[in-house]
Amino acid sequence: MTAASSTITVESYGDSAVMVAFVHADAAVRRAGIIRFRDRFLARRPHGVLDVVSGLESLLIEFDPLVTGPEHIEYAARLLAESLPPALSRAVRRFTIPAVFDGPDLASVADEVGLAPAEVVEAITGSVLTISLLGAAMAPMMDGLLVPRPVRRLAEPRTDVAPGAIMIAGTNAIIQPFPGPTGWRVVGRTPHTIVDISRPAPVSFGPGDVVRFVPVTRDEATALTGSFLVPS
Amino acid sequence: MTTLEITGTGWLTTFTDLGRRDAERLGVPTGGAADQHSAMVANLLVGNPRGATLIESLGSGLAFVPDRDVLLAVTGAPCRVTIGNAVVDTWSPVVAPAGQVVRVTDVRLGTRTYLAVHGDLRAPTFLGSAAPDARMGFGQVITRGTQVRLDTGFVGFPRRFPVFRLPVPALRFGDGPWVIDVVESPHSIPGIRELIEESSYVVTDRSNHVGLRLTGPVRHPDNETEIVSHGVPIGALEIPHADELIVLGRYRSLTAGYPIVGVASRPSLPLLGQAGPGQELRFRWIDREESIRRFARREDELRALERAAADALDLPCRRTQ
Repeated sequence: MTAASSTITVESYGDSAVMVAFVHADAAVRRAGIIRFRDRFLARRPHGVLDVVSGLESLLIEFDPLVTGPEHIEYAARLLAESLPPALSRAVRRFTIPAVFDGPDLASVADEVGLAPAEVVEAITGSVLTISLLGAAMAPMMDGLLVPRPVRRLAEPRTDVAPGAIMIAGTNAIIQPFPGPTGWRVVGRTPHTIVDISRPAPVSFGPGDVVRFVPVTRDEATALTGSFLVPS
Repeated sequence: MTTLEITGTGWLTTFTDLGRRDAERLGVPTGGAADQHSAMVANLLVGNPRGATLIESLGSGLAFVPDRDVLLAVTGAPCRVTIGNAVVDTWSPVVAPAGQVVRVTDVRLGTRTYLAVHGDLRAPTFLGSAAPDARMGFGQVITRGTQVRLDTGFVGFPRRFPVFRLPVPALRFGDGPWVIDVVESPHSIPGIRELIEESSYVVTDRSNHVGLRLTGPVRHPDNETEIVSHGVPIGALEIPHADELIVLGRYRSLTAGYPIVGVASRPSLPLLGQAGPGQELRFRWIDREESIRRFARREDELRALERAAADALDLPCRRTQ
């Protein structure tokens, strides 16, 4: 990353949080930058920082306001952003996730972006996705979907989408870990268990890891049903 | 081991605590007691650490019978607590003798009560916390017939139950509109500060632990915000596309495309956690420094109670660890 791209904004939200974001014209640079910043910030966690919430292009830093303040967090954040190493402090894990593309929104997504459904599947399986963050219920939110234009969310969210559903919106993909509502477009499903709260580490992935989807047959998927997702 | 046999519950009764630490970076909301202040005070009143596991009930109906004498405290919304036929104080340590039924009824003004019992409640944990996360299949629901197990060192007071004069920072529940202090946010909407200040908002029945949805006047931004998911603090005031105001709760997730016009001050979060459908709220803007001063005062009160309770309860409660 160039020196100019290490420019960040730090804004105060409420009495005990600040939001950090990168300033750059290219969203891909902002998104890659925040993953590395997060990694470094957590490794060097300044005194009084309680937790962080990752956004696609931002990091909300929550702190104890009786121990520290936004000016101290901002100072630390700017120092850490100045000299970001080019790679994460840990090895990047790679996932090959088997998928059946029979989702109810595949046809409407194809319509919207001007492709045939099979071409949408090719676009998804041809994308090398990076996990930006763990969203609600530890869902892996991925960036880097190669679609002709950003995919819209549903105007009326679906109320009950099954675990394993592969969903897209914007240039992002996400996997539904538990049954529940979503406004994302459901294009497929994976037979793997993505999140298992009975495990000491309920997920095997983290921000910065790389994902590819590979199409499998229904029978192949059935054989894998319920097995815990691990790096390939 | 001591057992509390649950003979009645509120609309929803669960184990909880102050929530998960350092879990939001994993996509798991901190969660925990909606009214953290009442939860902390309940625990301190029985000589527990603030963050000990306790029982949160929505509405009236909690009832249970301990099989040994227990030291307990009920805090939260105003309510009537009886042990056997005797009415006992809320926001105070009380002894429930073995075999006597303890009942929490007539919950009013607020929505939630907290029951702390001296000792360690045995409850399952996820990422180090007993707080429920229903979305992830971790319900922690207590139902009629549940046998709640407890490891307690409470051995009773030497003679009669003493009268405590503890400095208890009880939450104040007005029967009119509740005033919530709010700190302004960057990128707000022009004119929204004045509008929110002079208006009144009512909690709707579409509210839950993710957020309160309020009816009342709002204003929308002129330009459409780009939809990029980002984190938001607990207590954030958001304006969705509909004409309503959302105040996010402890189980919020990421948000996208909704402007944040302010964030409730920390000392106001407990009241927000108590607000139920029909509750009228007014908002008052304060600056960040004022918010921290109020929070520091609240913390001082909790520490004073912590010290006083430790002194008062030291003798009859053997440490369990």
